[in-house]
Amino acid sequence: MNAVEVRGLTKRYGNVQALQGVDLTVPEGMIFGLLGSNGAGKSTLIKALVGALKPNSGEWQVLGLNPLRDQAKLRALIGYMPQGVALYEDLSARENLRFFGSAHGVPALEQRIQEALEFTELTSRADHPVYGFSGGMKKRVSLACALLHKPRMLFLDEPTAAVDPHLKVRSWQLFRELANAGTTLFISTHLMDEALLCDRLAIQQTGKILIVDTPQAILEHGQTRLTIKQAEQTSEQQIASTPNALAETLHSYGLNPTIQALTLHPDSLETIVLRMLQKSEVSQ
Amino acid sequence: MSRILVVAKRVLTQLRHDKRLLGLSVMAPLLIIYLLKIFFDTMPKGFNNARYIMPITAFMVHFLAFLLCAIVLVQERTAGTLERMFINGFRRIEIIGGYVLGYILLATFQAAIALAQALWLFDLSYAWGDLAMLFGVIWLLAITSVMLGMFISTFARHEGQVFPFIPMIILPSVFLSGLLINPEQLPTWANWLGHAFPLFYANDAIQEIIGKTPTSSVIWTNMAILVGYGLFLLTLASRTLKDVE
Repeated sequence: MNAVEVRGLTKRYGNVQALQGVDLTVPEGMIFGLLGSNGAGKSTLIKALVGALKPNSGEWQVLGLNPLRDQAKLRALIGYMPQGVALYEDLSARENLRFFGSAHGVPALEQRIQEALEFTELTSRADHPVYGFSGGMKKRVSLACALLHKPRMLFLDEPTAAVDPHLKVRSWQLFRELANAGTTLFISTHLMDEALLCDRLAIQQTGKILIVDTPQAILEHGQTRLTIKQAEQTSEQQIASTPNALAETLHSYGLNPTIQALTLHPDSLETIVLRMLQKSEVSQ
Repeated sequence: MSRILVVAKRVLTQLRHDKRLLGLSVMAPLLIIYLLKIFFDTMPKGFNNARYIMPITAFMVHFLAFLLCAIVLVQERTAGTLERMFINGFRRIEIIGGYVLGYILLATFQAAIALAQALWLFDLSYAWGDLAMLFGVIWLLAITSVMLGMFISTFARHEGQVFPFIPMIILPSVFLSGLLINPEQLPTWANWLGHAFPLFYANDAIQEIIGKTPTSSVIWTNMAILVGYGLFLLTLASRTLKDVE
């Protein structure tokens, strides 16, 4: 079953056409990424899907329900983490969780709050007012609020924007754990490295979906610049960004012909920095 | 009903945590009543202080309850918590009901303290029955003000947009509701316009209670109008508070 089905969705704010006929299908049980620059219409699309916004036209369903007609039913099945933290800053993390959890009538609420706090690593600051939290911690409280009622589908609007690299890595580990447990995640981001962590990716620009595919398949639309230094000669060439293209090119340089595909997985700068930080912590 | 209580509990927890706001909303009327005392002490002997003091006390509670509720609700919108409440399944009537319930306690507190201080500083004394009626009128006005604040908040996108409503709604009521002069001395159209403000009915009831020959039917009629006014605003607010953009 598809978690999201959208056909020809449009939304206009005055003179601005925020969504221009969006078509999208999201299968259940995966991390689906929505990549786009600021102002691409990502938040508008998410708000339409969670029933916080009425589109001008189109057909749209989430978990087989119409977000406006079946509002009450759908809201029990989804969790939503908005782009801003949307928390009561003078309340503690636990009090925020208690309030939003009460709305869903979560059974054994206090136990569930404790689980959500542990999952988001907030237990040590659970009873502190949120206004004293860092941006990353506020995001985690916000995520915990969205998770509390164990929703079938989670909508996360730029969940790791302005979050430090360590927290970002931890957040994505949490997202993967949720997806492995069967939750469908719909995550918007403008960060390219994060987009690669999704199972499927849509690229949105000025209210239109340009492409929907796996991140790997989208990468293959690109080209790789290959520089080969041999004796005194250096040659440079552009090849397709596929494992086969790299192997084929290297065959002419004597690569064993039985090798059909070659992929390099270099560490990202983020991974290298995190490893250095961990090493430094251990040595201290 | 349980979700209304959840919202009310959260509103009260927030107020309890925000000691500065709570302190200011109680201390500000007290300070103004004290300044009024200094002002009225300059009046010649025999001047009818009570005719002004009681309605002004009611006005301050009205103004603060309106402003506080309107701003806090607009903050809910700008912070995204209002949208989050809706997406978490709270309904309009539950949010509005929770706010009214939460602010009733603050309004009760404000009305009681302001009334007690006015009576003490100006050395006014009334029969217990009249005092209960005075408290009842100020309390009803405070509740109506909470609903007015709630209704107005639906037209403001940020806190700053609440302030233009002060000269539009709150200040005209000072001049047209009989707070300073008998509204019958006003031109007919201004007298009728005065009837649009809740302070008009509160003032009418107060003048009747502290007058020499109070007529209970006038007092009860004005209190009933305040209840009706509040319910009307509650209905309007529940229609104008949008759960979908």
